[in-house]
Amino acid sequence: MTKENLDEAPFATVIASAGRQLLAAVNPAAAAKGIAPGLPLADALSFLPGLATHPAELAEDAAALRRLAEWSGRYSPWTAPDQPSSGDHGIKIEITGSAHLWGGEVALAADLSRRLARQGIGHRLAIADTLGAAWAVARYASGRATGNPISGKFAVETANLIVPIGEARDAIAPLPVAALRLDPTLVQGLHRVGLRHIGDIIAMPRDALARRFGADVARRLDQALGDLPEPLSPLGEVPTRRVRLSFAEPIADPADLARAAERLTQDLVARLAREGMGARRLDLGFHRVDSRVEHIRIGTARPSRDPVHLARLMIGKLDTVDPGLGIEDAILAAFAVEPLASEQFETPLPRQHPHPSPQAGKGIGGHEHSRRAPFPARGGGSGWGPGLAPLFDRIGTKLGLDAPARLEPRESHIPERASAAVPISNHHFSEKPPRPPMKGEGGVRGADVGERHPHPPIAGAMGPSLSHDAGEGLTPTKPPRPVRLFAPPEPVEAFWVLPDDPPFHFTWRRRLHRVAQADGPERIAEEWWHPDGQLANRNGDPGAIRDYYRVEDETGRRFWLFRAGLPGDPPPRWFIHGVFA
Amino acid sequence: MSSAARLVDLQDRIRRIERPNALRHGVLPFGVAALDRALPEGGLALGALHEIHGQGADEEDGATGAGFAAGIVGRIANGLVLWCLKRGDLYGPGLAAHGLDPARIALVRAARDEDILWTLEEALRSPDIAAVVGEIGRLPMVAGRRLQLAAERSGITALVLQRWRTGAEAAAERARPSAAVTRWRVAPLPSLPDGEPGIGLPRWRVELLRCRGGEPAAWDVEAADASGLVHLSAELADRPAAPRRFAAERELWRAAG
Repeated sequence: MTKENLDEAPFATVIASAGRQLLAAVNPAAAAKGIAPGLPLADALSFLPGLATHPAELAEDAAALRRLAEWSGRYSPWTAPDQPSSGDHGIKIEITGSAHLWGGEVALAADLSRRLARQGIGHRLAIADTLGAAWAVARYASGRATGNPISGKFAVETANLIVPIGEARDAIAPLPVAALRLDPTLVQGLHRVGLRHIGDIIAMPRDALARRFGADVARRLDQALGDLPEPLSPLGEVPTRRVRLSFAEPIADPADLARAAERLTQDLVARLAREGMGARRLDLGFHRVDSRVEHIRIGTARPSRDPVHLARLMIGKLDTVDPGLGIEDAILAAFAVEPLASEQFETPLPRQHPHPSPQAGKGIGGHEHSRRAPFPARGGGSGWGPGLAPLFDRIGTKLGLDAPARLEPRESHIPERASAAVPISNHHFSEKPPRPPMKGEGGVRGADVGERHPHPPIAGAMGPSLSHDAGEGLTPTKPPRPVRLFAPPEPVEAFWVLPDDPPFHFTWRRRLHRVAQADGPERIAEEWWHPDGQLANRNGDPGAIRDYYRVEDETGRRFWLFRAGLPGDPPPRWFIHGVFA
Repeated sequence: MSSAARLVDLQDRIRRIERPNALRHGVLPFGVAALDRALPEGGLALGALHEIHGQGADEEDGATGAGFAAGIVGRIANGLVLWCLKRGDLYGPGLAAHGLDPARIALVRAARDEDILWTLEEALRSPDIAAVVGEIGRLPMVAGRRLQLAAERSGITALVLQRWRTGAEAAAERARPSAAVTRWRVAPLPSLPDGEPGIGLPRWRVELLRCRGGEPAAWDVEAADASGLVHLSAELADRPAAPRRFAAERELWRAAG
């Protein structure tokens, strides 16, 4: 690919090397006059006094090439920038297995060519069996010789050269030996003995070739012919599952992006469901028209294929996406795909009909849903037997469908989230909550790995007494929890000596309680990985930290108090969250 | 048959004549000899109605009563525990600490006492229910009798937690006759030091206010633990006369790191 085809005038970029000014890159107009990269600037100016120059910005060039390679991910996850030290940069794309998604190699090449040309990127594009052959053809073949030049109508120079399968050998044979990606000294050595074209050495025994001209010549030749594998190291991790959505017109509206996220999630989930898998990390890439990619990365610590949940996680982060001039492709890629048993997720069933079923056994947990046990049995003899369905039908009919509920433990250390009353009527399709990263599982891993908003590594709980999931799994070290929890927490008027002390008395519901004993603090911080974000603590203080104290008054009543915010923050506010038995 | 055995048999028959249905579903011992001695047959009658009252503001919150009830119904197997209440303030993780697995609870929220009583009665006639708990303000005699009859018939144990009352009303409620087999009052007691700074072992005052075929009695117990069992509270000789100030204890926490 040749850079800097800005206009018709000869142009070159210049780098300083060993005290001399050398040309780093030239545009086609300059190349047509015989100016080539590597030429000293003084020589070039003597040939072509009108040559315009600019200092080369190598780091910027490399970054731009990398962005372009990333953008090329729309064609295949296997892409990489190709930047040999000798110059002559390019992009490598492994399209094996993805060309058919574009209607074949010709269509893919045309699409890529059109998009590059639209951005004013001059290019030569070749498709061949091997990376070496494609490289050679892209740079050294004439457009007419081996392929079909598809696009000639654009202002920039483009050429698409497609080598049919199995014809790499014939395609590269007439090309100069320099097309083998050889060091210039090796090329000179070959020229000295009259070996000018690849065809001249293609039939030579490889060991003789290696002995006389160096191992590189034999290696590059074998790579170009496919006799030696040359794996492409992709830019990023290659996802195991990918779904893509292309838009006829570039989109930029957040609502459209959200719809795209939902569509892609459904497609991906459908595929994961067929395979019995769930994903733990997803990367939603929005490919902008200006060949940049905006990423949303989400993670769940447990494999999931819940479309509602996954889409919600991604949509919650849409505000980090800058659509620029528009987005033409969205690609959702799944990483860390693991087996996921089907009963952990069920496609939502239609809601129970609100009026009572005439037959017992036809309601909640009746044989309509007999595919699964209607209520998960937990422990011996404590199961939710099918005989309960008529009772909950009756209760639901009289008191409202939401009246009967289960207390479902949630894996959250936020007290009000650790236990949720889930109506039994939609118990079947209750959504599994995201599991927060567990102790010892790094803060960022398995959660948000987005590069735009790295979250501070706030541990879930970091008070003197560490607490973790208050849901299932009682551990002896777990701090006590009250039998009654107030939602929302009720403000109390508290009096304290030092800001990080529990109060020595407090007034709640117009009664004064003198604190005789206290335990704490147990610090509970916002679950930053949670889609809902912050603790709702009734005082509009997002990102709050709560310090919980268990206090006992003089009569022996035990309360759960917390102070909102950090001890140093004026003014501390105190709340009662529950009462212990 | 020896005369001793004949005597036991006769006593048994007299007891059955006196209380034809109350105890036919067996009893649930507390595992504390002092408590069980006060109860006929050595435990809380299963398939029967029991009232749990509270004291002062704690009765309003229903906290100690909930812990006490959890310790009882948590030990009754074979089905769900239907817990019917007005306010959704029951907290699963806290109940687990007193012996009731929250996964066994079917929560029913109702706005009025009458709806709660209706729900309890329905549940007492349903299979796969181990016990029911209802939180109500007043238990009328007729309603109590209906619940007791339904419990006797199905063998499901029913606990009524008295809540949301204050002062004179509560006292009157405690004094009224009842169809329930037992009436309890539970209240929090200051915790006992357990060698660690801060709050020690939580304790309750448990009073058996009335009991068919038993005598009123009262005990100081350690709160029901995760197995649902209470333990007689051992007053430690070195318990400080006055409650400790937390300020002194803060130093202890710091010293402990």
